[in-house]
Amino acid sequence: MAPAAMSGMPHPVRDDIENTWTYLQTGISHIMLKPQEGLDLKTYMGIYTAVHNFCTSQKAVGFNNPATNITSGAHRGAHLLGEDLYKRLSNYLNDHLKQVVTESKAHTDEALLAFYIREWHRYTVAAKYIHHLFRYLNRHWVKREMDEGKKNIYDVYTLHLVRWRDVLFKEVSAKVMSAVLKLVEKQRNGETIEYNQIKQVVDSFVSLGLDEGDSSKTTLDVYRFHFEKPFLEETKIFYQNESKQFVAENSVVEYMKKAEARLEEEEERVKIYLHPDIGLPLKKACNQVLIAEHSNILRDEFQVLLDNDREEDMARMYSLLSRIPDGLDPLRSKFEAHVRKAGLAAVAKVASDADKLEPKVYVDALLEIHTQYQGLVKRAFTDEPEFTRSLDNACREFVNRNEVCKSGSNKSPELLAKYTDILLRKSSTGVEETELENTLTQIMTVFKYIEDKDVFQKFYSRMLARRLVHSNSSSDDAETSMISKLKEACGFEYTNKLQRMFQDMQISKDLNNGFKEHVQSLGTKGLDSSYSILGTGFWPLTAPGTTFNPPEEISADCDRFARFYRNKHEGRKLTWLWQLCKGEVKANYIRNAKMPYTFQVSIYQMAILLLFNEKDKNTYDEISSTTQLNSESLDPSLGILVKAKVLNVSPDGEKAGPGATYALNYDFKNKKFRVNLNVGMKSETKQEEVETNKTIEEDRKLLLQSAIVRIMKARKRMKHQQLVSETINQIRQRFVPKVGDIKKCIEILLDKEYLERLDDDDLGYLA
Amino acid sequence: MSDTKATQVTLQSNDLTTIKVDRAVAERSMLIKNLIEDLGDEAVATEAIPIPNVNDPVLRKVVEWCEKHRGDSIQSAEEESETRKKMTEIDEWDQKFMQVDQEMLFEIILAANYLDIKALLDVGCKTVANMIKGKSPEEIRKTFNITNDFTPEEEEQIRRENEWAEDR
Repeated sequence: MAPAAMSGMPHPVRDDIENTWTYLQTGISHIMLKPQEGLDLKTYMGIYTAVHNFCTSQKAVGFNNPATNITSGAHRGAHLLGEDLYKRLSNYLNDHLKQVVTESKAHTDEALLAFYIREWHRYTVAAKYIHHLFRYLNRHWVKREMDEGKKNIYDVYTLHLVRWRDVLFKEVSAKVMSAVLKLVEKQRNGETIEYNQIKQVVDSFVSLGLDEGDSSKTTLDVYRFHFEKPFLEETKIFYQNESKQFVAENSVVEYMKKAEARLEEEEERVKIYLHPDIGLPLKKACNQVLIAEHSNILRDEFQVLLDNDREEDMARMYSLLSRIPDGLDPLRSKFEAHVRKAGLAAVAKVASDADKLEPKVYVDALLEIHTQYQGLVKRAFTDEPEFTRSLDNACREFVNRNEVCKSGSNKSPELLAKYTDILLRKSSTGVEETELENTLTQIMTVFKYIEDKDVFQKFYSRMLARRLVHSNSSSDDAETSMISKLKEACGFEYTNKLQRMFQDMQISKDLNNGFKEHVQSLGTKGLDSSYSILGTGFWPLTAPGTTFNPPEEISADCDRFARFYRNKHEGRKLTWLWQLCKGEVKANYIRNAKMPYTFQVSIYQMAILLLFNEKDKNTYDEISSTTQLNSESLDPSLGILVKAKVLNVSPDGEKAGPGATYALNYDFKNKKFRVNLNVGMKSETKQEEVETNKTIEEDRKLLLQSAIVRIMKARKRMKHQQLVSETINQIRQRFVPKVGDIKKCIEILLDKEYLERLDDDDLGYLA
Repeated sequence: MSDTKATQVTLQSNDLTTIKVDRAVAERSMLIKNLIEDLGDEAVATEAIPIPNVNDPVLRKVVEWCEKHRGDSIQSAEEESETRKKMTEIDEWDQKFMQVDQEMLFEIILAANYLDIKALLDVGCKTVANMIKGKSPEEIRKTFNITNDFTPEEEEQIRRENEWAEDR
């Protein structure tokens, strides 16, 4: 019926339902079927008014009209009319939708999609109109019904959706969905599709999700069940088939590229035309079929990629496997094993002769592996903490337990300390400051992995002492920087002594200035001497292993200094570390020398040479008795003088010992005018190493005991087992203690009555 | 929506008289607001909107109220029901506006209900409520000219049922 004819219709009788409904139905049908023709003002107002008039006509029907089936209204006070209208509207929608269902049967696939979308669009537009026209019904009758908690009563718009869902959707949704899936499959196979259609279907399905509890809210239930579920299932099947075939025909590396592209594509798909709600489950489904179901062959390939340094492919594998739960664990353990193997192999390559191993070569071998795989972790594994941990584990293994360490577990810290010493010592091959700093940082990288940090400390402090005493450290800045690095890594306590050693040297400098002034003021002519005062507890030095009777010239100066010092610091005891003293003597006696030679000698050598001021020849026994040196110190000192041809021995070739006689060589010749005779004997350093290693065990015991006492002092009472594990925790930063050693230490402390045994395997602290 | 946004609309009472009002004023009525939204600006720009249930004097009265309240913010459903429960006071202008004979008052209420102007409907109902407040049933009957059609038995029953609410 044309709107013109409609508007010409007389207004219906207000309380006659048949009359009213006939009028309304004409209007509704017009809206439903020919929305393009629009509605005129009169019709709009007519329909609204008819609804209003019918709903406000209650007086006519009133209490005593059981036929209208609203007798229950008596309980709610003023009752509202509208149920009839509501029901008739609902029935009308049923009929309309049944008609649409019938029409839909003429279409399939894409045509059906187009049909569904067209009908949906027309229907929802109409629903919005009718919702407004029936607003009076909504405001009163529907509102009252809903306030009273009646189920299955909806506002008029929602009623439209509910009818659509119950009548049409139920019948055609499966077919619509299969058309959607066909379309998506086409796209996955590379065809271009009209994806807007799918988007509209999604929107329609989402709109049908009505919260039964509160019709003003929507849920995704309908969409999830009718769209998401079949979509995910279809996706799985598609990719299962595709990936199975692809893997059979291509390499793993190719497959990873394919999978990566597919995953990206699906993510795009969600963005372009799917509901965001499907994002996560779709990703999960794809991860499952594209990655998890092929994870074994991916992982098997990892070793191949590692062996061939295929960084890009490893990065791809990482990003794929990181998408599935626990996907990376096997990679991590493979990676760890691989790095460890690589580290051990690198060490084995340089370790053919462990005794002659250059510290630099060894440390560089360790660093090279670390640098290589740290780079891999960074570039391929996005610096992921777990991979870093695997790298650390592997490095710790091959740094502490390798071919070189077989000869002694302290080998790694020892070599590292030696390398540091070489770097920090003055050398002819001057290293750039920035380069030195970089190398020190690298040293710290290895240091981090060292388990026996106490061993490093020991060697380092000995070497630092030597550098300071012989003042052949390359730069104070570099030394300070290294100490602060160690402090940062291990704490104040670790570097306390190192710092004190540094301070002592500074204080000594000032002291020497004071002494020089003092000597000048006395007016006596002393030696050009310089003294270092080293705090006993801080320096890893021991008193000389020999008696020594210093020559007159030296002892006079030493005594003067000792008096000067005691004057300043009363009550302090000075111990002379003769073995570290050195000096220079001028040789004026040599024939044919244009200039007098200067010999740099140890104090022992000086004492020996000064004897020749008195006479040209001295026997071994004479030298020994005057200097009071024992043979361990005397023999090597003489040995060097003889070897350098400063002294001649007779009989010729005689070893140092009783029976040998030494004479001054007046024909001494050397290219240089300054001759360094104070060269440490190989055996000496070797011995020092052995000694250092020996003290380590002792020091560890003390360290363990002090840790135990510290813990017990804080806790007062503890189980034996607990104490052991707590001690391990505290000490682990320095070295890895053995449980047996800890138990021994506890026994010692029990004997010393620091601790007592209590009932129930408890230990108590005795103050 | 079309570009030519209508600024004025014409309303036609059932006496066929017309009143031209600003669109914002007319849109105090949800019915008219929805109508403009549904049918578009052009539809109301040229033709008068028929209001078949309201006569000229009442429509003018309603428009007068809408003009006065054109700027009022339209409250959301929730806060509205909150303030509605609490407030029985009516602002001064509205009180004066409602000083009309009883028949007109009820016509305004019906029109407000029909045109879906919630605030006006509230004012009307509050006015009636104030007329009832503090009066005995007999006085109320007299005020609104109601004949008592209860039997004495019915009256007794109602009184018993509502005993709990009585002031004592």
